[in-house]
Amino acid sequence: MGVPRAELLLVLGAIFFSECALLSARAEESNTGQGAQRFMEYCAGCHGADGRGGDRAPSLVAPSNAAKRSDSELFRIVHDGTKGGMPPFAQIGEANIAAVLQYVRRLVGAEASTGAADVAVTGDAAAGRALYFGKAQCSNCHLMHGKGGFIAGNLTNYGRSRAADVILQEITNPDNPLAPSSQVAIVTTSTGEKITGVLRNEDAFTVALQTEDGRFHLMARGDVTDVHYTERSLMPRDYGKRLTSRELNDIVSFLIAESRSSRPADSAGR
Amino acid sequence: MRTWQPIDRRFRNARRWAPSACIFVAMSAAVGHGQISKPQMDVTVQRVPAADDTNGVINVQQSDLLQKEATKNWVSYNGNYSGARYSNLTQISPANVGRLTAQWVFHPRVVSPLEVTPIVVAGVMFITSANDAYALDAKSGKVLWHHIRALSEGLVDDPAQHRNRGVAILGTRVYMETDNAHLLCLDARSGHLIWEVPYATGNRNYGATSTPLIVKDKVVVGISGGDAGVRGFLAAFDAETGEEKWRFWTIPGPGEKGNESWPGDSYLHGGGTTWMPGTYDPELNTLYWGTGNPAPDYDGSVRPGDDLYTSCLLALDPDTGKLKWYFQFSPHDLYDYDAVQTPVIVDANFKGQPRKLIVTANRNGFLYIVDRTDGKFLFAKSFMSTQNWAKGIDENGRPISAGLIPDQKGVRVCPANGGATNWYSPTYDSLTHVFYFRSFEACATIQSSPKPFEEGNAYYATGLRNADETGKAYINAFNLDTLDFSWRQLQIGRSKGWGGLMSMAAGLIAYGDDAQNFVILEARSGKPLWHFHVGQLVHASPMSYAIDEKQYVAIAAGSDIFSFALP
Repeated sequence: MGVPRAELLLVLGAIFFSECALLSARAEESNTGQGAQRFMEYCAGCHGADGRGGDRAPSLVAPSNAAKRSDSELFRIVHDGTKGGMPPFAQIGEANIAAVLQYVRRLVGAEASTGAADVAVTGDAAAGRALYFGKAQCSNCHLMHGKGGFIAGNLTNYGRSRAADVILQEITNPDNPLAPSSQVAIVTTSTGEKITGVLRNEDAFTVALQTEDGRFHLMARGDVTDVHYTERSLMPRDYGKRLTSRELNDIVSFLIAESRSSRPADSAGR
Repeated sequence: MRTWQPIDRRFRNARRWAPSACIFVAMSAAVGHGQISKPQMDVTVQRVPAADDTNGVINVQQSDLLQKEATKNWVSYNGNYSGARYSNLTQISPANVGRLTAQWVFHPRVVSPLEVTPIVVAGVMFITSANDAYALDAKSGKVLWHHIRALSEGLVDDPAQHRNRGVAILGTRVYMETDNAHLLCLDARSGHLIWEVPYATGNRNYGATSTPLIVKDKVVVGISGGDAGVRGFLAAFDAETGEEKWRFWTIPGPGEKGNESWPGDSYLHGGGTTWMPGTYDPELNTLYWGTGNPAPDYDGSVRPGDDLYTSCLLALDPDTGKLKWYFQFSPHDLYDYDAVQTPVIVDANFKGQPRKLIVTANRNGFLYIVDRTDGKFLFAKSFMSTQNWAKGIDENGRPISAGLIPDQKGVRVCPANGGATNWYSPTYDSLTHVFYFRSFEACATIQSSPKPFEEGNAYYATGLRNADETGKAYINAFNLDTLDFSWRQLQIGRSKGWGGLMSMAAGLIAYGDDAQNFVILEARSGKPLWHFHVGQLVHASPMSYAIDEKQYVAIAAGSDIFSFALP
């Protein structure tokens, strides 16, 4: 019982893995997209889509966790699992493990630095701010430094752990992959009412939908006659068409610049 | 025994039925209408709010916070501003509580013992677990959102245990304290952080373990770290912007009244922390808050005089933070007798006259009744069978010290430093005028070896003590009409219990006992009517709420939240 604590990951033998060399060789390949996908597939369910931990597993990006481990330690953890409760993932194959770890390193590296210093910001962050709060309507749904909507993710630290090209991808080609509690569903109740909202939780017995006004609709399965899964989030899919590439670049630059101006809310210590 | 009340007062809202009263009603109905009604022995007139359309809509109004009755919503730590921890729901009653059934269990990410009292509004439950916050479907226990925040490192004493007593809620926002004394404002619909204010600086030994109290447009927070030599305070922040509005220092600085107890800069390490939420009277516009013991613990040589305002009840203006009056339970405390226990707001007859009172059971072993309009002392009674630090309480409410001074050799003091009672919640039933609370009878040998203050170390180091761990715990029922105990129930179990109480209008008391059970007693007699073995020691106090015409009782037990209802 209980959540495997980060410290238990440290219980490792002093065994050197040749996979360490394998990792460095692969580090040159640009498979960030694949790493992100594998991470979502194998890791996000417990460690969270952003690596910040969840109900079942600790944060990977906190300074005392993955950042302190060598490549071989991390490989060993993913490959063999831990005594603390993490299952082994040897079956996904070395290539996938390497891809996942490269993605984790990127998340960790960006988190640990004062703000992804190696990420080039080529757009106009001030223009990006105007777009974010104006024409692009990002603030309708997203919170940024306490301002904006609440229904979608908090973007205050979003730019901290992602490269510019990844951010651009996530704006123009969202839901790849679809984050677990972001899916929009249309629920038909036994009284014939149709409710469209974000599916925050569901199981065989209950459905919890949040409509855009913030209201939680907490329903028993017996009161629901149909659930239509849209396989998408609230994020519009046409930003690639609505905005010019210059505008998009400005928004990306704004997101990265904003993340540099804030302390991560969940950093340990005073 | 419960005293009989005139029917119009007692059953004005058809609140509860008892067999004798049912017969009375039946007879009067017979007389009035020329027919005989059957007396109802079971509680079928159930006062649970009808289902309405507000489920799932989080937007708490001032009128919600001002609710005199806690029914479907439990809007703050103690249920409402009175601190009474009393639910007006009557669906669960002595007649049917034996059928109470577990509805769900929730296990949070951080599993140190939970001290939270859940808040429930519109069918959504808000809890904290260390620095995390959750919104749960209060019917099913499923997570709606989860705000994650790492534990802070480098903390000292109580804050280093990362306990948290819950959120406060206003509008669409919830507020919580982190272990390192940051006030967070989160969106209640998503858990996203809106703003964050570090509210205790200048001393590494500050931390927080409590929950804020919303008063009008302000979020009031207390502080922890008193045994580690911090300067205690109460502070209020604008609920919208997070701007600090006022701060009341519980240890007076140079030139301020009471500073003569704090020579030099010792006032910066005087303790008097404010680590439990207070109560609020909106008609008197007065905030009531208890303060902790002075620092250094046990060594009084460096803090001569009464050590204001430690071990006090403070009455403050919530708009300005100005002190209206104070009452000091333990002047110049030498035994770690904090006075942060809930100052429960009671309107009742005192010696035949209707009065506005504060009733509180203090860590020093005395139960006090004070007039809350001006702090005038009215009554004190010892609730310890063995008590030796005070010869009595004088007519002004001041203890007559027995002169036990901790020294190198050590003195045996009763109650022990852990107190005759502690932070676990009391509860008050306004229909029967009975005040219920948990007590602990134990003594300790307290020594004192003075040491200077050091950041990063608990100031406890000045005093060593051998606490007498084997003691006897009681649940007590104190009747305000007779000014005596109706009953006192010895607790059976291996552990020292930390479970506080709540009461329910049908005549029930709920709490976690000393043997890992969640228990419900008949309030009238103390007789246990139901229990559930939660399998872990309870370090929190229960609450009750209703959704869709069903009443639930919930408790944080160890590392889990349990919720119960009738089948």
